[in-house]
Amino acid sequence: MIFQNIKMALISIKSAKMRSFLTMLGIIIGVFAVLLMIGIGDGVKSQVSSEVSSLGANLLVVYSGKIGSESSAKNGQQQKSSGGGFNIASTIGSSTLTQNDVISIEGTPHIIHTAPYNIISSVVTYGQLSTSSPFIVGTTSNYDDITQIKYSAGGFFTPQDNDARNNVIVLGEDTKHNLFGETDAIGKQITIRGQKFSVLGVTKKSDGGTSFGANADDMIYMPINTANKITGLNQVFRIITQVDSPENISNAQEAINKTLKSNHGGQEDFSVLTQADLLSTFNTILDLLTTFIVAIASISLLVGGIGIMNIMLVTVSERTREIGIRKAIGATSSNILGQFLIEAMILSIMGGLCGLALSYLVGMLVSKFAGITPVFSLKALVLAVGVSLFVGVIFGVAPAIKAARKHPIQALKAL
Amino acid sequence: MKQSKPIIEINNLAKCYDDDAGVYDALKKVNLTVLEGDFLAIMGPSGSGKSTLMNIIGLLDRPTSGKFILNGVDTETLSSKQLSKLRRDKIGFVFQNFNLLPRLNIMQNVELPLIYKKIKSSDRKRKVREVLRQVGLEDKIKSRPNRISGGQVQRVAIARALVNSPSLILADEPTGNLDTKTGIEIMNLLKSLNSQGVTIIVVTHNPEVVHYAKNTVLVRDGLLHKKQASA
Ligand SMILES: Nc1ncnc2c1ncn2[C@@H]1O[C@H](COP(=O)(O)OP(=O)(O)OP(=O)(O)O)[C@@H](O)[C@H]1O
Ligand SMILES: [Mg+2]
Repeated sequence: MIFQNIKMALISIKSAKMRSFLTMLGIIIGVFAVLLMIGIGDGVKSQVSSEVSSLGANLLVVYSGKIGSESSAKNGQQQKSSGGGFNIASTIGSSTLTQNDVISIEGTPHIIHTAPYNIISSVVTYGQLSTSSPFIVGTTSNYDDITQIKYSAGGFFTPQDNDARNNVIVLGEDTKHNLFGETDAIGKQITIRGQKFSVLGVTKKSDGGTSFGANADDMIYMPINTANKITGLNQVFRIITQVDSPENISNAQEAINKTLKSNHGGQEDFSVLTQADLLSTFNTILDLLTTFIVAIASISLLVGGIGIMNIMLVTVSERTREIGIRKAIGATSSNILGQFLIEAMILSIMGGLCGLALSYLVGMLVSKFAGITPVFSLKALVLAVGVSLFVGVIFGVAPAIKAARKHPIQALKAL
Repeated sequence: MKQSKPIIEINNLAKCYDDDAGVYDALKKVNLTVLEGDFLAIMGPSGSGKSTLMNIIGLLDRPTSGKFILNGVDTETLSSKQLSKLRRDKIGFVFQNFNLLPRLNIMQNVELPLIYKKIKSSDRKRKVREVLRQVGLEDKIKSRPNRISGGQVQRVAIARALVNSPSLILADEPTGNLDTKTGIEIMNLLKSLNSQGVTIIVVTHNPEVVHYAKNTVLVRDGLLHKKQASA
């Protein structure tokens, strides 16, 4: 009987193609929006997590300001941080970290490399060409040791360059390409904030890699002392430090916390985060955003369900005579109920599958043009089919009951 | 000829329509017995209650009062599901205005009662072919109802009524929309079914039809009047 009902439903869906399509549209859009949002959310998550681990092994990052939950920062445990106390302003405002903190961290047990990380904004000029897209970072040669940069030409600057405040830089592959094209950049002079810098090295293409949120291929690295010379500031935005082994991470985190707290006169105006903390802080924010967007997208599923109910009610009235004939030749009320319920379910499942296909398609476009690869799991497929089935049942029941209740004679007499 | 059992026994049956427009007694105190193998014609002026009576006999409607016993079963106590099953298994309907489903082809239309009876697909196809052969429409099996003539539609309707091998066929003005010649064809078809043992009740305005029937009754103002058996 179910097979027969499916066949019947397909016949009547086919006989009104345009209407069926419009009926499904609500579900298509709903499922599409929900799946794409979840897919993008998951895609960003997995991308960020691979980026965070690609930064280097066993890292601790010290931020100015207070990020993460109290407990995480206070007792230096690595995993539990949540976005609870996150305050964006505290990470953007003028920094509380200093060169002195960098030196203190270098003296902490289990620490092998420590690098400061400053961001400078400037237009970059070479000859006639100028660009403002590169992310300019002031750091020390330790940064190279931590992140294991690979070069297509030249190399990183030395501690001596930093001490002497030499005007030297290392370019990301894209930055080099934008300014020099195919020609060799090593030894060439480019202008940043009115000063000439000579190019020491060019990094290898990282294939979508990032450095703390920036495109790793559109970067300029310079010695931090040189950077402070041209900006006139003497603060440190972030400190990146590497621990000798994974077991020592939480000890080191605790030790750094203690040291910096005494440096800062007992004030905890900084955060020492592990890579896991970074991820979980990020994931918490992203989950919140995704949930919010998915909730909004779900409204269109609801609207789609109401659309199905509306059309099914119209269909039932239009087909009153058919219902009368079917009853006259022996259909029971439950036969009729099943027929219309299955029709509604098929409409919404077809809508769900179309939405699924559409979200894959748009997902492919997004990954091609926006650089985010949405992740579609089996979970998403089950969700799409499940939710649309559920919508079909919920909104199909009322019209189906209406159909099943029709009195055979009155139905037969209907025009 | 051996003694036949009654297939229909109706005692003091009344049907009263009660709606916004008012109360109307469509049938008042009807008594009727139909024996197995009968060919009964029901005649009478328009609005006299013929269709009302047919619908009750066909278990599509319930009487307001009185008894209706079908095949020895008092229909009053039956649930709507049981009524559906009796319609499916025991009764075949042919209506005046051809009641085929326009979206289904001839095969699918005739197949419907068998689907509701949960008959296997291969058996269904065989049975449908058999009854379509009986009404002479084997070659139209894949056509849609709007692609065949009115007389052919009515023959399909008869095929659909036959497909479950019912013991009773009810035809409410089956020739009303047809020309005389086609009407005669349909009546001959019903007559041959009757000779195979199927009980047939026909509602008609056409006095000619009476010649095919074994018995005729007249309905007038909701009351039944016996008429003497013809041939
Ligand atoms: N659902 C209904 N509600 C109210 N009155 C009805 C209803 N159905 C039929 N009637 C009335 O009952 C009476 C008998 O109707 P019925 O359809 O049985 O007549 P009929 O003998 O079949 O007539 P015809 O030969 O024109 O088909 C009519 O007067 C009709 O108006
Ligand atoms: Mg009538």
